Amino acid sequence: MTDPAPGREAFEAEVIPQLDSLYRLALRLTTDPSRAEDLVQDTVLKAFRSWQRFQPGTNIRSWLFTILRNTFINDYRRRQREPIPMDLETAEPHASFRAVDDEDPEGTFFSRIVDAKVLEAIDRLPEEFREVLVLSDIENLPYAEIADVLSIPVGTVKSRLFRARRQLQEVLYDHAVEMGYIRARDRAPLKQ
Amino acid sequence: MAGGPKCREALSLLQDYLKEEITPENAAKITEHLEKCRPCFEHLQFEKRFLEMLEHKARGQCCPDRLRARILTELRSELDSSAET
Repeated sequence: MTDPAPGREAFEAEVIPQLDSLYRLALRLTTDPSRAEDLVQDTVLKAFRSWQRFQPGTNIRSWLFTILRNTFINDYRRRQREPIPMDLETAEPHASFRAVDDEDPEGTFFSRIVDAKVLEAIDRLPEEFREVLVLSDIENLPYAEIADVLSIPVGTVKSRLFRARRQLQEVLYDHAVEMGYIRARDRAPLKQ
Repeated sequence: MAGGPKCREALSLLQDYLKEEITPENAAKITEHLEKCRPCFEHLQFEKRFLEMLEHKARGQCCPDRLRARILTELRSELDSSAET
């Protein structure tokens, strides 16, 4: 029973099931399918080369996401698409909900929006919002692990998530109005 | 009426409440408030629908098979080259 490649099977068993998640994060970060593929491949090879340093029992996904993000920052980041300009400090916190309050309080309009439109809206978020939203709301990583991956405090994870979701809701709401899924209503004033 | 201090507190924590990322004490306070406050309860449904939509619509993309195959090939050639040295 001499495995010519010690650790390879364990590595593949742990890492291959995570390829979908890695690919999704790579797509959202690069916003380009072919660069996303290269980024995932680089990530997996880097992870393999430092497999000995991975501590069994710790979270494999956080570890892989960290490698992927660092690789992206060092080797892949380039000028992003222009993010949607929005003054997040003064924007009214629950404007989308207020706007649909009477007509669609449960937000059923969300389910009418096509997947591609949702992904496009995510891709237009500023990078620091996009990464936190993908890790939390798409990949379901707990806040504490997101804090580790991004090297930021949990409080910052929370505040970025709050703003990311709010901005995404605004964009999707506007899209739903444009498509006629819901009727436009005057937004609540920014400040009473 | 939405807008009181309890509503404001609940609304600021609704998303973290849904993600089960708040203390049990705060969760209990919010649950209690939601049982009494219809507008906040509706807002909870809205946030819930939003989070469900997001996960559902953005998780559809999978790693392409050719990439999976490429990675496995690379891994094995990586091993061969390290075995030679």
